[in-house]
Amino acid sequence: MDTSCNLLLLLMFLHYAVGFTNSCVKILPDSSSNIVLEVGKDFTATCHLLEGSDYTSDDIEWISENGSIPKQSYRRINETAVSVTVNIDSDLNGWLKCRAAKQSLSFVPPCVYGISLHAGYPPLKPTNLSCIAVQEDKDISPNLNCSWDPGSRNPLIDTTYTVYANVLGTFQKHKAECNQHLARSCVVNLETFPIHMILKVWVEVKNALGSEQSELQNDSSYFAKPNPPLNVQVLAEVNIPTSLMVTWKHPIDRTIMKLSYAIRYRKAASDVWIEVPESFTRGYIESFRLQSLEPYTEYVVQMRCIGESKSSYWSDWSLSVTNSTAEAKPASAPDLWRIIQPTANNRNVTLIWKDPVKANGKILSYNLSINQGYKMFESPSIKANTHSQMYSMELPPGKMANIEITAFNSVGASPKASLFIPGSDKELPGVEDMSWSVLDGKPEPKLQVKWTAVLPPRPTLHLSEYLLEWVKITQSVHQTELQVGWQRVPKNLTITTLNADLEKFKRYNISVYPIYKNHSGHRLFQAGRPVTRPAYIQQGTPIEGPTVKVKKSKKNSAELTWDEIPLDSQRGFITNYTIFYAIGNTKQWKSVTVDPNVHSHVLTDLASETDYVVNVLVSTEAGSFKGTDCTFKTMKYGDGEVEVIVVVVCLGFLFLTVFIIMFCLRKREVIKKMLWPQVPDPSDSSIAHWSPDFPIKADLPKEDVSVVEVDVFDGKSLCEEEKGVLPLKKDKYLSEEHSSGIGGSSCMSSPRHSVSDSDEGDSGQTTSSTVQYSTVLGSGYKGQTPSHQPPAFARSESTQPLLDCEEHPDHLNESQSRSSYFRRGRELEPGVLAPECDGGSLTFCPVQEEEVSPVTEEPPASALSYMPQKSGYRPQ
Amino acid sequence: MNCHVRNMVCLSQRSQAKFRIIILILILIAVELVHPTMPCKHENCSQVLHRSLKLTKSMAKRSAEILETYKTSQGDSADLICDMQMDNVPVSTISGQTMSERILSVYTHLKEFLPHMKTVMEQQKDLNPPTNLVVEGLHSMITHVHHIALRVNCILQILQPNIPIPEPAERPTGIPPAQNIFQQKAYGCIVLSRLQELLSQAVQEQKSLKGKLCRKRNKDQFLMN
Repeated sequence: MDTSCNLLLLLMFLHYAVGFTNSCVKILPDSSSNIVLEVGKDFTATCHLLEGSDYTSDDIEWISENGSIPKQSYRRINETAVSVTVNIDSDLNGWLKCRAAKQSLSFVPPCVYGISLHAGYPPLKPTNLSCIAVQEDKDISPNLNCSWDPGSRNPLIDTTYTVYANVLGTFQKHKAECNQHLARSCVVNLETFPIHMILKVWVEVKNALGSEQSELQNDSSYFAKPNPPLNVQVLAEVNIPTSLMVTWKHPIDRTIMKLSYAIRYRKAASDVWIEVPESFTRGYIESFRLQSLEPYTEYVVQMRCIGESKSSYWSDWSLSVTNSTAEAKPASAPDLWRIIQPTANNRNVTLIWKDPVKANGKILSYNLSINQGYKMFESPSIKANTHSQMYSMELPPGKMANIEITAFNSVGASPKASLFIPGSDKELPGVEDMSWSVLDGKPEPKLQVKWTAVLPPRPTLHLSEYLLEWVKITQSVHQTELQVGWQRVPKNLTITTLNADLEKFKRYNISVYPIYKNHSGHRLFQAGRPVTRPAYIQQGTPIEGPTVKVKKSKKNSAELTWDEIPLDSQRGFITNYTIFYAIGNTKQWKSVTVDPNVHSHVLTDLASETDYVVNVLVSTEAGSFKGTDCTFKTMKYGDGEVEVIVVVVCLGFLFLTVFIIMFCLRKREVIKKMLWPQVPDPSDSSIAHWSPDFPIKADLPKEDVSVVEVDVFDGKSLCEEEKGVLPLKKDKYLSEEHSSGIGGSSCMSSPRHSVSDSDEGDSGQTTSSTVQYSTVLGSGYKGQTPSHQPPAFARSESTQPLLDCEEHPDHLNESQSRSSYFRRGRELEPGVLAPECDGGSLTFCPVQEEEVSPVTEEPPASALSYMPQKSGYRPQ
Repeated sequence: MNCHVRNMVCLSQRSQAKFRIIILILILIAVELVHPTMPCKHENCSQVLHRSLKLTKSMAKRSAEILETYKTSQGDSADLICDMQMDNVPVSTISGQTMSERILSVYTHLKEFLPHMKTVMEQQKDLNPPTNLVVEGLHSMITHVHHIALRVNCILQILQPNIPIPEPAERPTGIPPAQNIFQQKAYGCIVLSRLQELLSQAVQEQKSLKGKLCRKRNKDQFLMN
C-alpha cells in the first residue's frame, strides 16, 4: 500500500516537472552554446509563442540574471512575438529567459525558454611584436621566442594567441599557440633557423568577437642574437705603457652572420665605462688596440657583437677581462708633508709622504734630501714601504730646513717635491678661523671643512694652496702609530669635503694650513700656522659612564667628583653630565645637570644621616650612558657641631672640676674630716694628757651636734647637772665628736659617751671590761623641738673606747691649735668623768647609762675612768 | 538589320574582351599558385645575390663539415667507399654555356639533390642513433639547400624574367629501391661529396655573377624607364 502511494506521488511529480519544463515559447537567436556578445552593443532577442499556445504576446515576460526586464524594453511584433533589446555590459553573463504566463489565476502551466549570454570584448591588436632566436653552439636556435604587448583590456572571453612564422618562398608555416590569458610571449619552433632568408612572423589573436594580428618581416638575421665574442683577451704591451691589445674570436661563422664588434673598458677602480667608437671597430676584425690609457693601470675590458649593419640583436656583453698597462716613469711628485712636535729644546720633525698620484708603476724607493740652515744635512734613500713612509729628524727651533723628495719606480724618477720648514719664530700666518660640519652623504657621511681665506703677508710670498690635515686622537696604549692624513685644496677654495675615511665615533683633530710659495731664489713651499678643531664624523652614545666618588660627605651636602671618561669611550663631544641621586632604595631620583667641563659638584639640601645612591650620566648629542652607582651616607652632625659639643662638655667639666676643687678647697676641712676622720691617738689621749685650750666650739657646726635630751622629765640637761664637774669631760666629748665616723656610727648614732672597742686593747691599761655605749636619740634634731616623749636609748655595740665627751664648743675654752687627742694614760684623772656642759638644750653630753651598771660594777679599773651611774640618767 | 548586325558585332567584341580578362586573371592565378610567395620581390638584385652567395658559401662549408663527420662515423673504410662509382647519384657538374643556363643547371641540380639528401638522412637514422651529428646536419642542410634553390630561383628570375623556370621531377630519378648497409654508406658518402662539390661550384657561379647580374638588371630597368 505504501509502495503504491509513493509510486503515485513520483508519477505526479514527474508529470508536474515535465509540464513545467515543456516550453511553448522559443527565443531567436538561439544557440546550443553561449551566445557571445560584445560589451557596449545592443542585443535584441525575440520570443515567439509556438503554435497551439494558450498565451498571447501580453503574457510574455523577459527575465535576465538581474531580474525581470522592464516592459519599456519590449517591442510587440505581433500576437505571438515580443522582442526585447538590452545593452550588453560586462556583467551580463548568464541566462536571458522568456516566460509566458497568465497574469490571473490559471491552471495553464507557464512556459519558459532561455538562452545563455556571454559578454566580452573583441581582441586588441598586439603591439610591439618582437622575436628573438639566440645562438646555440655554432648555429642560431630554431626556437623563435616572440613577445608582444596584448593591451590592458581584458577580453572577458576565451581568446587565443597564435604565432606564425614563414620563410618567404616556402609553403611551410610554423605556428605556436598560446592559450594563456592575455599571453605576452610564445615560442615557435622553426625546426631549422633560416639563414639569409626573409622571415615573416605574425601573431594572431582571436576570440568569438573577432581577430587581430601583428606581423614582422625581415631578414632572418634580424631575429638572431649572437653569443658574445669568444676568447676575449687583453694583452699588455711592454714598450707602450699607454696601450692594451684586445683580441677575440668570432662567435659564429661569418657565412651565417657577419658581425661587427663593440668594446668598452674602464679602470678597475672606476665604475665608468668608456666605449670605443663603433666606427673604430667596424669590420670583421679579431683584435683592437686600446690607446691613450694610463700607464700601470688596471683596466677591465668587455666586448659584444652585432650583425653587420646592425642586422641582428646585440649580443650580451662578454665576461670582464682585466689587465694592466705597463709601467712608465712617475709623472707627478710625491705628496710631502711634515708633523712638527716641539720638545724641550728641539723640534721633532716627522716627514710623511704619499706615493705620486701618477706613479705609473710600483714605487720602489724614495730619495730624501734634507738641508738644515742652507747646508746639506743628510740625504737618505728610503726603500718604499707603504707601512712606514715617514722619516723623523730633530730640528733645532732656530734652524730652518728644506726637504726634497723624489720617488723611483722601475722605469725612472719622479719630479721633486719640496717643503720648507722655517725657524720656530718665523712661522707664517694661518687662516683666521675654520669650522666643520658633517654632510649626510651616501654611503658614508663626509666631513666638510670651511675656513676663511688668507692673504700672503709679503709680496714675495704667494698662496699656493691649502692643506687640510686630520689626526686621529686616541688614548689606546696599543695604538702608537700616528694616524694622520692630509689633503691639498686649491687656493681659490675655502670649503671642501675631506676625502678621508674617518672612523665613526673617533675624535680627529682637523687642521687647516695655508701653503705659501716663496718666489725669492728657490721655489720654497712653506706652511703657515694651523688652525685646529676637534671633530667627529659621527657621534655615538658613550660606552662607559663616569665613576663617581664622594669626596666629602656632610650633614646636608656631599661633594662628588668624577673623572672624565676615556676619550675612546666618549665617542662624541660630551654635552653635559647629569647627576642622579636618590635616598636609599626609594628610586625617587633627583637630578642635577652640569657642564661638560665640570667634574665635581656639591649636592645640597640632603637629609642628615641618610643613605644616598648617586650616579652620573654622561651625554653626547647621540645618547647617554650612566655610570655606576655610588652609595654614601650623610653625617649626623654638621661641621663644628661635634667640636662645639666637645668644647662645651670639656668646658663644663672644667668648670665643674674647678668648682669642685674650689669647693673642696673651701671645704677642705670638712672633707678632710669626712674622708679622714680624726682617729684619736690613744697616746695623745686627753685622759692622760689633755689641755683644755683646744678651740672646738668654733669649728663645730651646730647641725653636727646631736642634741640628746635626757631627763626630759625634769627638764634639765645632763650637762647642766654635770656642768663644772669635770673639765675632763668636755674634752672627752669633743674628741668623741671627731671620731664619730669610726666604728660605723654617724654623728647621730655615735656613741657620745661610750667606750670604744679599742679600749679593749687599752682595757689592760684602763679597764679590763668592755664598756657598751648607748646612743641616746633625742626627740629633736637640728632645731626640731623634741616632743614630750620619753627618750629612747639605743645601745651601741661599738667597741670604740669611750674617750671623751662631745661637748659644745662654746664650753671649750682651749685654743684650736691644741691637739684634739689626749693621752688617756697620762691625763686621765680618776673620778672626773662628767663632761662640762653648758645649759644649752643642744648640748651633747656623755651619759653613763644606767643599764651598763654591770659594767660599772665590774672591775675597779673602769670605776677609775668613769663615773658609775646607778640610777640611770640623771635629771638635768 | 544593320543594327542587329552591329549589335551582334558589339556583343561579340564584348564577350571576347571579357574572355581575355578572365584568361589573364586565370593565368595570373596560375602563376601565383606556382610561385605563391616569392622572396624575390622583397629584395633588390644585389641583396638577392649577396644573400644567396652567403647562404651557398655557408652550406658549402657546412656540407664539407658534414662530410667529414660522416666519414669519421664510417670508420677507416670511408675513403674507400666514397671513391666508389654510383650512377644513381646526380652529378655535380654544372653545365650550360650562358650565365642563365649555368645558374639553371645549379638550380636543377640543387632540386635533384634534395630527395637524395632526404634518403641519406633516413638511412642514417636507421644505421645510427636517430640523433647524431650527421642526421642533424643533414636535416638542417636539406632546409638550407631548399632555401638556396629559392635564392637561385630568384637569380634566375632576374636573369631571365620572361622565361618560365622548368621544375625538375618530384621524385628522384636514380634512388636504388633496396640497398644493403655497405651500399647505403657508400651512397650517403657519394651524395654528400657531390653535394659539397655542387655547392662549391654554385658559389663560384654566383661569384661570377657579381658585378654582372645587378648591373644588367639596373641597365634593363634603366632602359625600360
